[in-house]
Amino acid sequence: MKSISVGVRRGELAAKLADLKYTLYLLRKNPLVVAGSLMALFFIILSLVADQIINPDLAHTFDYTRSYKWNNPLINWGPGVAIYHGPETLPLGTDGYGRDLFKMIMLAIPLDMYIALIITVGSATFGILLGAIAGYVGGKFDEVVLRITDIFFAFPGLVLALVFAAMFGRTITNLMIAVLLVWWPPYVRLMRGQVLSEKEKAYVEALRALGAGPFRILFRHILPNSIYPILVQMTLDYGGVILTFSALMFLGFSPSPALPELGNLASDGYFHIFEAPWLLFFPGLTIVIIALAFNLVGDGLRDVLDPRLRR
Amino acid sequence: MSKKESPILEVKDLRVDFHTYRGEVKALNGVDLKLYKREVLSLVGESGCGKSVTALTIINLLPENASVLGGEILFKGENLLKKSKEEMRVLRAKEFASVFQDPMTFLNPVLTMETQLEEVFMLDTEALKQAVIKQKSLRRDLGYSDFLSLKGEYGSPSTSNVEASKAEIKKMAKDLCIDVLRVVKLPDPERILKQYPFELSGGMRQRCMIAMALARRPSVFIADEITTALDVTIQAQILHLMRELRDTIDASTIMITHDLAVAAEIADRIAVMYGGNVVEVASTREIFRTPLHPYTKMLMRAIPTVTRSVERLEAIPGTVPDLIDPPPGCRFQPRCPSAMKKCSTETPELKEIVENHEVACYLY
Amino acid sequence: MRWLATYIEGEFKMKDILLVEDLKTWFPIKSGIIQRTVGYVKAVDGISFNVRRGETFGLVGESGSGKTTAARSILRLIEPTAGEVYFDGVNVTKASKRELIKLRRRMQIIFQDPYASLDPRQTVNSMLMEAMKVHGVISGRSEARDRALELLTKVGLSEEHLYRFPHEFSGGQRQRIAVARVLAVNPDFLILDEPTSFLDVSVQASVLNLLKDLQKEFNLTYLFITHNLAVVHHMSDRVGVMYLGKLVEVADKDVAYSCCRHPYTFHLMAAIPVPDPEFEKEEVLLTGDVPSPVNIPPGCRFHPRCPYATDRCKQEEPSLTETNGHWVACHYEIDFQSGERKT
Repeated sequence: MKSISVGVRRGELAAKLADLKYTLYLLRKNPLVVAGSLMALFFIILSLVADQIINPDLAHTFDYTRSYKWNNPLINWGPGVAIYHGPETLPLGTDGYGRDLFKMIMLAIPLDMYIALIITVGSATFGILLGAIAGYVGGKFDEVVLRITDIFFAFPGLVLALVFAAMFGRTITNLMIAVLLVWWPPYVRLMRGQVLSEKEKAYVEALRALGAGPFRILFRHILPNSIYPILVQMTLDYGGVILTFSALMFLGFSPSPALPELGNLASDGYFHIFEAPWLLFFPGLTIVIIALAFNLVGDGLRDVLDPRLRR
Repeated sequence: MSKKESPILEVKDLRVDFHTYRGEVKALNGVDLKLYKREVLSLVGESGCGKSVTALTIINLLPENASVLGGEILFKGENLLKKSKEEMRVLRAKEFASVFQDPMTFLNPVLTMETQLEEVFMLDTEALKQAVIKQKSLRRDLGYSDFLSLKGEYGSPSTSNVEASKAEIKKMAKDLCIDVLRVVKLPDPERILKQYPFELSGGMRQRCMIAMALARRPSVFIADEITTALDVTIQAQILHLMRELRDTIDASTIMITHDLAVAAEIADRIAVMYGGNVVEVASTREIFRTPLHPYTKMLMRAIPTVTRSVERLEAIPGTVPDLIDPPPGCRFQPRCPSAMKKCSTETPELKEIVENHEVACYLY
Repeated sequence: MRWLATYIEGEFKMKDILLVEDLKTWFPIKSGIIQRTVGYVKAVDGISFNVRRGETFGLVGESGSGKTTAARSILRLIEPTAGEVYFDGVNVTKASKRELIKLRRRMQIIFQDPYASLDPRQTVNSMLMEAMKVHGVISGRSEARDRALELLTKVGLSEEHLYRFPHEFSGGQRQRIAVARVLAVNPDFLILDEPTSFLDVSVQASVLNLLKDLQKEFNLTYLFITHNLAVVHHMSDRVGVMYLGKLVEVADKDVAYSCCRHPYTFHLMAAIPVPDPEFEKEEVLLTGDVPSPVNIPPGCRFHPRCPYATDRCKQEEPSLTETNGHWVACHYEIDFQSGERKT
């Protein structure tokens, strides 16, 4: 009996793997997607191993004699830039606290990626559940959900986040919740639309005729079939979330000015743009590259989605 | 129909491949076909046999990933495969008219029927100019049948000096629209012209498509599964219309269908296709009376008919061949009850066995 | 309700496994800002018929006739507006949710489009397992797998097909999978909604043969819905013809095809193309288009297209009356050869 059940598992798994292989084949065909995925993968791995590469200890890094100094001979920022004549090589210069900017960016990337992940997954999950149930159940519940979603849609994202942060204090958790509150409405709309169209399909009717209950139909059949646009949206949103969160920090809502976070670092640079342009440039560039990478992956996924259905 | 005369359209050994993710689909494996003047030839076959692909190759409307590997398509003596895209486009406008299965996707939903039908007529302003001149000389209204007979008189010198105004040409087009809709038996043509495609029923749309095809006075009329999407009573009406039109229009028709019964109703000759080859061609009576190819025989026994009651239908064992990796030799061989060794090595050629009855099989 | 019980296999069973009484399914048409109901699409407008245990009842009609809506209303996939449906004596239309699930096990349906009726992300194995699980048909994992294999062999597939996805199969094979899934729950009654209209001719033949074999083996009763009159002729014992939401004729198969009494049936039969060029057929054509159930003509619904219509037909709607098991809804008795009509 044991061998038979293992056989069944192997069969199902093999089937799903074959399915995955086809998707990967399609993804491989588009060079932009490949580039984007490699970049995204690079950042993800970087986030995971950053602790090992760089010493995360921030306590002894403050050295005001080194603030706003550059010593990398490869780039000449022009006159007005202070040069650092000390022993260490600081490839990307120093920030206002005299810390090595390169080290700060290395520490900021995992933080930002992690925060963006939580926000994206959190808002998506909430939006998916709400949208799926609203779409499937319909009726008054659907109407109520739609109206609430519309209300949240109407708020300009950044403003709501600012208000929330101002009301509840400036901790990272509060800021994450603020951004989350703003990001979930599109998922409700998306999921609801998908569920509404899947609901009318023949296989759902066949399942109803078979006697399957609404939970089974919704969560085991409709959801897996409608998840693709959501996944695409999530990858595209990932870059957007990083941008929004950094923007919040940039505007001055960070809990602490010394926090190694990309937007925060850039914020400091904004005020010293003529003496230390690298402080604005490099963190900003990092944000752009991360957002770009995930955007490319999302675009590629979206292209892969349609031909898949034509099988 | 004298078979001594040469065919208006002849396809010789046509080979077409499609490039797909899974491999090369060898859609046409050497198709031989002859179409004579003023006859209705029906291409019958199941899905995947290549009947639609053949038609599309003739009019050069294949998708991007298709490539013609060999063969000839002779139309009035010229090889169509050697013509440029522009030449084929002109030919498509002047000589070949096609109607496809789903009229809703082939009609522009935001234009009225009038705009669309007029557009077809206005493609050839020279012909309309001729029609205006003829009407003036005849001193009565020009109908579609007169317009049809003008086809032979194209570009005669006597008309090239006389001018016809734009307004006259437009009016001619409008009148012809109404008349051609009458030819396809649509009641109240003026009202239909003002309607949009979605306001018309399936049968009426199909008639409009046929009218648009007739507007170009084709030499070859290709009808690709035009009745498949219609109800049976509407299908009967359309088939009746096609039978009547056969006498009025001077064109040969290629009727593509998967329904042998429809072919029996309307065709003069039937060509049965399987797996990218034509396996049997004969007159309708001949092919039903004495089917020679094993596939044709089994196909006839697999169809339920109301005139004959059987307990079980004779299903053809096996499945349609995989065109990416087709069986070598005759593609029907894996399912053929009379398969011989020779069948799996070489593809049989279409040969005339009995007079005017061609079969591609090693049994003969 | 007519009770016709017979003594079968040691217990009293209903002779009619399905009894439909005046079934109506109307869809409201709403318009305006407050979405008032301005009219109804009367897709099914009062049909009554019975299906005897073990027979195949063919329901034919063209588009707009309401046959597909009728099938779904019988199973309550669409809620009917009025009328009653009795399955084996149990009132389906008034059944509670729980009773309905139990009934669903016994009344199953095969859909028309094999390319859409299977979840594209489910393997065959998963589908069969799910069917069995929903109705609690089997108890153990190994038993389930054995039964899945058994079902696949019954429909003509094999073990290698167990872990494949629907898109890896042809249309005919997908229909077979649908049949296997339906058989997994041991139904008594099967509605076949145009099961072969998307399939090739040769595949259709093998699927129809399969259906016939399964009917004999499992004592199934079929309600076969189609617009293909040749297929209905091959498969059914009795035939019901629908037009614009109502039944116009119900008769045994041979009677319906050779001596039908309703003009619509006659024209329908005459319109069937016959694959025999020697067969002499009169050109009997129906004028006009298939009507839509939004604007139903007064009186007899068929009168705008009927060549035999009289003033009475334009005002009075005929009811379905029976003579010798042959039901017709027409005011007159028409001799189709001569065109004479008698009341």
